[in-house]
Amino acid sequence: MIESFLLKLRARDEISPDEEEAIRAMFSETIEVPSDKTIIRAGRELTFSTLLLDGLLCRFKDLRDGSRQISELHVAGDFADLHSFTLKHLDHSVMALTRCRLAIAPHDRIKAVIHAHPHLGRMFWFMTNLDAAIHREWVLSLGRRSALSRTAHLFCELRIRLGIVGLADETGYALNLTQTDLAECLGLTSVHVNRVLKELREGGIVEFRGGRVTIREPAQLERIAEFDPAYLYLEKRPR
Amino acid sequence: MPRYYFHLRNGAGFVEDEEGRDLPDPEAARSEALKGVRSILCEDVLGGVVDLRGSLEVVDQDGVRILLLPFAEAVEFRT
Repeated sequence: MIESFLLKLRARDEISPDEEEAIRAMFSETIEVPSDKTIIRAGRELTFSTLLLDGLLCRFKDLRDGSRQISELHVAGDFADLHSFTLKHLDHSVMALTRCRLAIAPHDRIKAVIHAHPHLGRMFWFMTNLDAAIHREWVLSLGRRSALSRTAHLFCELRIRLGIVGLADETGYALNLTQTDLAECLGLTSVHVNRVLKELREGGIVEFRGGRVTIREPAQLERIAEFDPAYLYLEKRPR
Repeated sequence: MPRYYFHLRNGAGFVEDEEGRDLPDPEAARSEALKGVRSILCEDVLGGVVDLRGSLEVVDQDGVRILLLPFAEAVEFRT
């Protein structure tokens, strides 16, 4: 059930059979949640972290008028809140954007695992560092990339991240998001997103339709996005 | 909640909204339309050329047009 998490770890370092067993025993239960459900509310005390097995989650913050900024999308194999292990409560909320399957890792079990397996402690640290790197790239997008380039960049990022867990190839991937979800990731309005999507589609570069991203010109898409996957730390090496 | 569709027309052609958006009432749809047009004009301003020839049409789920918002009416100009 946690195969995608293991794939994500093993893309960055070796994980021994002993370590794999410890990771499997770290989860207490699996739950399903419907689309649009806020699964973690900012400020609430947390005694467990949540791993996404299937579906799409997002981290978000919002303003009083209801406008919402998504700061990261989570795909299968991502912890939504490994950082809640040290933070105890979060400054942001986490919402299911599709129906999701989740695995719960109680903080006391995570603690036991990192005591018994310091290398896994470092790998979990790496995972939170990786989230921070993704946030920095999104800051660059939101602050400096044009609407077109920002949208292209998100499609490039998801191709790599979904590819690691076997959910994307060169030609595209399933992405069950609405234009409004995309707008909340990209800091745009959904009207604007629709126009940008049309431009990308008519340019024969990428098409987002019916819950699927179809990449027609990967090299051109990466050029528009100025995409450099270095921030996703894809090398497999001792950590 | 009723669903509203936001179709865009400008110099570059017609952008159909196939997905639509669930909003509480026509007033909320109008507010979304204003924000949408303004966000597009924002990018025009940054690019140095503002094309005011477009409009945004809001259609309800029965296909009835509830608003036609010419770009020029989405912002106030003072010169």
